[in-house]
Amino acid sequence: MDNFQKKFVEEATDLINNLEEAVLALEKDISNNELIGEVFRIMHSLKGGGGMFGFDDISNFTHNLETIYDEVRTGGLKITDDLMSITFSSVDHLRSLLDPDALKDPQINKNNEILLSSVEAILKGSGTEIPIAEAEEELDQDGDKQTIYIYFAPNESIMDNGTNPLYLIDELCTLGETKVFPRTAKVPLLSRFNYSKCYTAWEVFLVSSENINDIHDVFIFVEDDSELEITKVADFDVLANEGFNEKIQSLYSEKNHFDSAVITSLVNDLLEEKKSRMVNVNEKLKIFTKENVISSIRVSSDKIDHLMNLVSELVTTQASLSLYVEENQVYALNQLSENIENITRQLRDTAFSISLIPIESMLTRFHRLIRDLSSEFNKNIDFITEGAETELDKTLIQGLTDPLMHIIRNSVDHGIEPEQERIDAGKTPQGMIYFKAFYSGASVVIKIQDDGRGIDINKVRQKAIEKELILPDAKYTNKEILDLIFIPGFSTAKNITDISGRGVGMDVVKRKVDEIRGTVDLESKENIGTTITIKLPLTLSIIDGLLVVIGDTKYVMPLNLVDKIYAYEKEQFSNAFNNIIVVDGEQIPFYYLRKEFDIPGEPLDIEQLVLVKYEEKRIGLVVDSVVGEYQAVLKPLGKLYKNHEIISGATILGDGTIALVLDTNKIINEFSFKN
Amino acid sequence: MINDDILQTTNSYLTFQLGDERFAVHVSKLLNILELIPITKVPKSPDYLKGVINLRGSVLGVMDIKMKFNFPITEYTKETCILVLEVLIGDDFTEVGAIVDSVHDVIEIDEKQILPPLSVGIKFKSDFITGVIKYKDKFIMVLDIDKMFNAEQTKIANDDTATEAITVK
Repeated sequence: MDNFQKKFVEEATDLINNLEEAVLALEKDISNNELIGEVFRIMHSLKGGGGMFGFDDISNFTHNLETIYDEVRTGGLKITDDLMSITFSSVDHLRSLLDPDALKDPQINKNNEILLSSVEAILKGSGTEIPIAEAEEELDQDGDKQTIYIYFAPNESIMDNGTNPLYLIDELCTLGETKVFPRTAKVPLLSRFNYSKCYTAWEVFLVSSENINDIHDVFIFVEDDSELEITKVADFDVLANEGFNEKIQSLYSEKNHFDSAVITSLVNDLLEEKKSRMVNVNEKLKIFTKENVISSIRVSSDKIDHLMNLVSELVTTQASLSLYVEENQVYALNQLSENIENITRQLRDTAFSISLIPIESMLTRFHRLIRDLSSEFNKNIDFITEGAETELDKTLIQGLTDPLMHIIRNSVDHGIEPEQERIDAGKTPQGMIYFKAFYSGASVVIKIQDDGRGIDINKVRQKAIEKELILPDAKYTNKEILDLIFIPGFSTAKNITDISGRGVGMDVVKRKVDEIRGTVDLESKENIGTTITIKLPLTLSIIDGLLVVIGDTKYVMPLNLVDKIYAYEKEQFSNAFNNIIVVDGEQIPFYYLRKEFDIPGEPLDIEQLVLVKYEEKRIGLVVDSVVGEYQAVLKPLGKLYKNHEIISGATILGDGTIALVLDTNKIINEFSFKN
Repeated sequence: MINDDILQTTNSYLTFQLGDERFAVHVSKLLNILELIPITKVPKSPDYLKGVINLRGSVLGVMDIKMKFNFPITEYTKETCILVLEVLIGDDFTEVGAIVDSVHDVIEIDEKQILPPLSVGIKFKSDFITGVIKYKDKFIMVLDIDKMFNAEQTKIANDDTATEAITVK
């Protein structure tokens, strides 16, 4: 595959994703013309792009589908359930066609033919359908038409070799709608007129979907000795606007020619007008506003990674500078260094936000999954999402998609009951899967809740005994039994279906979430439902930290988890009963890190109690002293320490020494478990 | 820049001291030799993992080979160094630091001069030793450091005899 084809595959993947999103939305609101237009447009771009880059299978396949939606758009065809499901299958099929050799696979080839014939069947039956709505929206029907301004002044002797410039203009007219203005200023008086010479130049406004190169081709033989200017003036049809037509007409009669500045300003006026109309439309139809208002560019993730690395290095260098200024008391540098620190911080935050992606980006897939599965299992399920705008690092999103798919599959397959069973159990016939994402402190929490039958604790217990995971007469809490589900090889599904029950269930989910340093928690009540909570750290490569000292070593705690800092005499810790200290009238459990970390040496007389947030509580961590705030660039500890949980990384300080970054949640977990 | 291929095919080995024995690693594995600088200890980790150091802006884990393989422990001296090695852990090449007692010279050895490790009568596990070089009346053992770092909790010396043998000598 050459570079262009790769680019196309990348773009087409996006287009297909957008298509899926649009089709899903369309299914909910089948008379929405905006959405129908969107579907049509995406198909059209796919067809065009496919043809251009040699993906003829895609282009052929999309062709008929596009025709259908064109009919739908103009009201000739009605959207039926049949059409919806064919469209969905086509979306999947298009994905597989992105491999240029896909049709060599007999399975895909067969699929291709089946889909093509069902598409044709719909097309043939089109005459009998009742139109659903009149197309009233002219605004977005331009498709990918653009307006091109062409100035063509042939050489005087162009006709010597038999070329007729008028034929060229005629050819231009075949490419689209045109407005042609001859420029006759050079035509001499009749007495000096030579009939074998061409004195006229032409200015043409062409509205066409051809690209500029094709237009160039018209002039390919005369280009060299003529004056030729081909510029795109707008991405839409300006000639359709009557005001514009009038203006150019009057300009022409006034001056006999245009110059490009005038045209540009005219087009800009038009754009403004179009935009203001666009806003009106968007207010009515909010679903696709984002694409229209926010402009975005595509950047390769390598570049983002590189940018992040550079920002990290900058932060480290800036720390060295601050240290130097502090040590040498250079007055002139002081202000400068502070400014740089400020800018670096902003740069860091901006660079970070670039690599954050809203969770929304994976929700489409889940909507689709639930739609497909519920029809397959004949269940009636509503999928409700909340907090889709919550943003996560792109690497986390990648790591999360598979586990979440699995959890949702489980909910559909095992959780939600068939309609009749639900009615018998006194529930609403429609089952519900509720997906919620939100920030909580330094973590992002994702909750997936269903109102299905829940997990049968006894069944789990029975199974665990069968598999010799627990002893038959041992006592366990319900929570402990439920946690057995995360053990590899455990699956209670009665029947093995193609989506779950392969024995690679929740253990894989847990492992995957562990890989991105998250935790999974499961709650279930029989007949009420199951809730799975995934908690992820906002693992970013730079954090705002609090620099503290214990013994010879400096440590960094995530600043957003630090609540307050108190100074106490060392005896207050050594005399404390059961590691509890009273702070402002509140009993706070604390961990004496010098002891927990086995750091030798005598503690200072006055020590610092740092209160950190842990779940809903506040826990104290005792350190020797607190240095201050510090922007820490997280660096991995490397393979030698890959199993080390309480330290999430290291950072290099301004003086070149290393500070260790503490994962306070893990520390508290580990020590509270131990005690 | 030295081409990787050339590096792979040279016959240069760095020799170094661990206790009373002399060892060698192929230079293609060696990235750097550092003097012993202060090491930041990571709490709650095994003793043989000495901690981490700042190696030109990245964090390098340092291991005391003698501790890991149960050699008798000695104080660090002025001669103690950190070898920065590139080893294959799992499927990835990783940089690690290894503390050795002292570094000798780089020697050129023709591959034919490397004798197969003896399976009987030596005090080191032949698993980690690819061969033995006889050099100026001394035996130098060529280490397979990839294997060494991948083998969890192993001892390079044959448990019973080796420790004694070294101390006795």
